[in-house]
Amino acid sequence: MNSDLDEPMHFEKANCLVLACGNTLRGDDGVGPRLAEWAAHRFRDDSNVRVLARQQWTPDLAEEIAASESVLFVDSSIDSAPGRVNLVPVATHVNGPEGATHGSSTHHIDPTDLLGLTHSLYGSMSAHAMLLTVGAGSTELGETFSDPVEAALPRARGVLEKTVLRFLEN
Amino acid sequence: MSQTITIDPVTRLEGHGKITIQLNGQGEVEDAHFHVTQVRGFERFSEGRPFYEMPSLMARICGICPVSHLIASAKACEAIMSVRIPHTAAQLRRMMNLAQMVQSHALSFFYLASPDLLLGMESDPKVRHIFGVAAAKPELGRAGVALRRFGQSIIELLGDKRIHPGWVVPGGVTEPLTSEKRDKILATIPEAYANIALALDAYKKIADTFKAEIAVFANFPSNYMSLINEDESIEFTDGALRLIGPTGNTIEDGITATRYTEVIGEAVEPYSYTKFAYYKPLGYPEGSYRVGPLARLNIVKSMGTPKAEKEFEEFKQLAAGPVESSFHYHHARLIEMIYGIEKIEEILTDPRILDKHVRATAGVNRLEGAGQAEAPRGVLHHHYKVDENGKITWANLVIATGQNNKAMNLGVLQAAKHYVKDGKFTEGILNRVEAVVRTFDPCLSCSTHAFGKMPLAITLISARGEELDRVVRD
Repeated sequence: MNSDLDEPMHFEKANCLVLACGNTLRGDDGVGPRLAEWAAHRFRDDSNVRVLARQQWTPDLAEEIAASESVLFVDSSIDSAPGRVNLVPVATHVNGPEGATHGSSTHHIDPTDLLGLTHSLYGSMSAHAMLLTVGAGSTELGETFSDPVEAALPRARGVLEKTVLRFLEN
Repeated sequence: MSQTITIDPVTRLEGHGKITIQLNGQGEVEDAHFHVTQVRGFERFSEGRPFYEMPSLMARICGICPVSHLIASAKACEAIMSVRIPHTAAQLRRMMNLAQMVQSHALSFFYLASPDLLLGMESDPKVRHIFGVAAAKPELGRAGVALRRFGQSIIELLGDKRIHPGWVVPGGVTEPLTSEKRDKILATIPEAYANIALALDAYKKIADTFKAEIAVFANFPSNYMSLINEDESIEFTDGALRLIGPTGNTIEDGITATRYTEVIGEAVEPYSYTKFAYYKPLGYPEGSYRVGPLARLNIVKSMGTPKAEKEFEEFKQLAAGPVESSFHYHHARLIEMIYGIEKIEEILTDPRILDKHVRATAGVNRLEGAGQAEAPRGVLHHHYKVDENGKITWANLVIATGQNNKAMNLGVLQAAKHYVKDGKFTEGILNRVEAVVRTFDPCLSCSTHAFGKMPLAITLISARGEELDRVVRD
């Protein structure tokens, strides 16, 4: 496994990139980085898996995505019921720049836009892209999760593991 | 009947802000303001904390330039400790600060400014952003991403994190550089040179097409302030401050951190939470000055590295004295990036850079200390007072964006007066007014220490104070 702390200067071709997002100081918003931490440990001996956790998804990550054959985005969701684990495909159709939903922001872009940006810059498109979310119950200040999210962690880990293994098989 | 135009939010800035343009009864621009409308209060909540916690606390002010806050804060703490840090520690800090400058300037140029520069001020706002640049000029988009990664990776390698790194502490740094890390960084230097050369070449090809903007983008005489070395070369981490006047004349030199309170005052305007710094002997607003890339290149006599020096000589040909238009901040930023890459390479080849002695230790030896360092967008000052146990009793910060505040406001007024006629404005005109602010690359979170979102808008207000129109972008 390549973690961002092990190899900060280079981008090694990875079959699968796990790209988590969230703020560990804002309660359930930190579930993405927590799952990334677990994934880094679970796949520590597998050089085909690279795990990154960021507070926000930014345009810089296009370079990382271009170096990967498949991407699993991991985030919390305020649109889902607290603790609900969702896995959905990310549209990999190529949006034109006018289709970017967060065009004026360089601080946060969503997975679809990030894939579109990757295609524009590097001409590559991940073969597989999925988004794993866990419904957030509370995003107030704090480093602990709400009960529903704490209870959902085993299931979220299971979905994450299964998805990565499926990516590696393809 | 007069009107006011509001631009809210001003987009592609670090943070959020608002612009109002006041029109008179004839539809001519009478006044304009750049508003920063929130407050945070780092100075207050640091009271009671041990002084040695201050660098890591103060780094949280900003996600873009935490390293400059770390360094200015550590230097203020070292003044309290009365220690001189080891040579190698000073060089390592210098490298980290330069790495931050490169990544921050790359963000400003490629992500925030290049949509205007490469796609045009009048281009369709639906594509006038980083996605549009990526589609139209992918090679430049890739260069921007790579230069961001170059700077951020160095910060991460040294401080374990890209944002809010540790490692810089009162007395030096927590651990020395290893040969493996040095070699990793050195291996990325050639790619960084290639990318900045690509960007500078692209900028030079288009700069002449912006003559109209150059003429009215905060293009007026002013004072300038920055750090400078004793040999008059550019400096980001040590050295002392120099203030020059509109003709390039030195007004005051050798301003050390401990003297900043003698020479720098802060005025308050009712429309902004960001203060307006000024040179005390000249008073406010006459003593207002600009900081950041344009100021630094107007003040120094040399860059001190060969590639940057060559570009600096060309830059100086833009004017007989100081280069006045803030549009040229973009050009200055690119030259500083070249300098940053060259200087990092130079530091890494210093035979003492792997020395193990990188930290001095001491307790409280003075009850007051101040430190200063150049952030990408200009010099910042940290000033603390402590009790005998080393607990902070008072803190004050003077940040780059506050020092550029008057020039930004005058620049917005200048551009608005030029472009807004007969009370009519188009999206392209409003974008140009925003673009004036973008040239300064202000960091509003730093300048106000604001918490949360601060959207920026343009509002059109009548002579009777009625809001006639309002453009708001989230």
